[in-house]
Amino acid sequence: MKSKAIYPKVAADMLTVLGTWVLGFLGVMILVQVGKTVVAFINGSEVDTYFNAVFIASNIAMFVIGIISTYFLHHYVENGVTRKDYFKGALVASIGLSIALPIIAFLVSKLGEFIVMNIDKVALNQADINSAVMETDGNIVGNIVQAFIIAPHIDPSSNWLLAITTLSLNILFFFLVGWFIGASFYRFHVVIGLGSILVGIIIITIKDSLLRLALDLPLPDQYISLDFLPSSASIPILLLLLGLLAWLIRSITKRVSIKM
Amino acid sequence: MNVKVNSLSLTYGNHRALKDVTFELDSYKIYGLLGRNGAGKTSLLSIMASFHEPTSGSITINGEVPFENASIMQQVAFMYNKDYKDESDHAINVLKGVARYRPYFDMKYAEYLVKRFKLDKKKPIKQFSKGMQSALNVIIGLASRAPLTIFDEVYLGMDAPSRDMFYKELLEDQQNHPRVIILSTHLVSEMDYLFDEVIIIDEGNLMLQEEYDSLISKGAKITGNAEIVDDFVQSKQLLNVEQLGNTKAVTIYGELSKTERTIAVDKGLEIAPISLHELFVHLTKEVEDNEK
Repeated sequence: MKSKAIYPKVAADMLTVLGTWVLGFLGVMILVQVGKTVVAFINGSEVDTYFNAVFIASNIAMFVIGIISTYFLHHYVENGVTRKDYFKGALVASIGLSIALPIIAFLVSKLGEFIVMNIDKVALNQADINSAVMETDGNIVGNIVQAFIIAPHIDPSSNWLLAITTLSLNILFFFLVGWFIGASFYRFHVVIGLGSILVGIIIITIKDSLLRLALDLPLPDQYISLDFLPSSASIPILLLLLGLLAWLIRSITKRVSIKM
Repeated sequence: MNVKVNSLSLTYGNHRALKDVTFELDSYKIYGLLGRNGAGKTSLLSIMASFHEPTSGSITINGEVPFENASIMQQVAFMYNKDYKDESDHAINVLKGVARYRPYFDMKYAEYLVKRFKLDKKKPIKQFSKGMQSALNVIIGLASRAPLTIFDEVYLGMDAPSRDMFYKELLEDQQNHPRVIILSTHLVSEMDYLFDEVIIIDEGNLMLQEEYDSLISKGAKITGNAEIVDDFVQSKQLLNVEQLGNTKAVTIYGELSKTERTIAVDKGLEIAPISLHELFVHLTKEVEDNEK
């Protein structure tokens, strides 16, 4: 008799734990948004939408959650779950989170915008996040920091579905890169771990270029430029890049020794 | 349940933690795994639990390689001195979490043990004392009722009454739900009555595997006049020699026949049994001295 697959259980459990953290993050962002709205009300100034605020902060949040996901491996193997079931479960959970977070952010943002629109003294800031990218001076450190803060952005007021999908893709990449770096440090020594950070930065930069190409957004003058590619090729390459990241994580964790 | 270990070796860098270890566990017994610090006990047990792959050799559980084998890994519970410094959950939640992945887990029994070991249900585990954390490990191991249950010195942090409680629970639960239990320990004199069979490893090598009763019957302390004792033990494997004046006490390892026992008594020698603790200390010490 074939036994029941274990990875859906791992996925559900990881989604619950990681989801709690993400909800905590979104809750803090709501408090920040309320604070910003109060300040804007007092000063009579503009306030960014909640979606845009989450858009900036969620990359780092998902990156950190991705790193921490490595440490669930120990818990699962200890409880008789294979590395394969852990990997599949965590991957499903990461995709679930990447879809849920933007949807929640969008719905909360819409509610916030509705409230702000009824407050006379506060106006919504129509942020042009993409243009900020063009203002960086092209040095490597600046580009790296910028890649982690300002990912390719679509404003939900122009196309909400595309905005949600873009944010989903961005944060899924950040989660997987965090997971990949965490797994490298867990499996190998520090030097290879540091090397994985470099690989992660390169992957994020390529992802940025491809996504900007796909969305027809302005391409900054970066150290990795893919503007020679046709925009129709960018989505399949992006998906391949996601597959490559997943394959790298699986290869690293496939036979890894559990530290005691 | 059958565990077959065949020529198993494990190397960390230049250090050979296990060297060509071969043995078999084939019945629902309590096996005592003894060895000095760094002998390779945890390395061996962690391979059984699929924490590591061996460098060479093989291990099979019910005829299958356990590493990354979902159905086998579920049947192996490996409890060790886990550090809970980051665990902010409560004991019951942690037990429920384990129960989700352990097919034979008995939550009622786990709750009974929580009460018996007086664990605080409202306190985060990271605030538990070392003894309480050890008790939690013991509860997880017992309540999981895994067909292969391994306790790797988890009881070291527990105080004597708690350890005693654990031994009683272990024997009772083993009687009601037989399984292969491996107890790795330093507390030989305290735990020897639990063992059906004893495995001793030393410096990565399997030294012996034997039924507890038969092993104990092989050790003896011969005391008497020094010359008569020397004459009597000359063909025996000596483990320890003590002398005070003309009286000598020699610990030997090896079966004593009925005739030999009669001769010893006739010569005025005293034959006393020795404990597993003494046997373990002398056997592992002997190897060390020989290598020097």
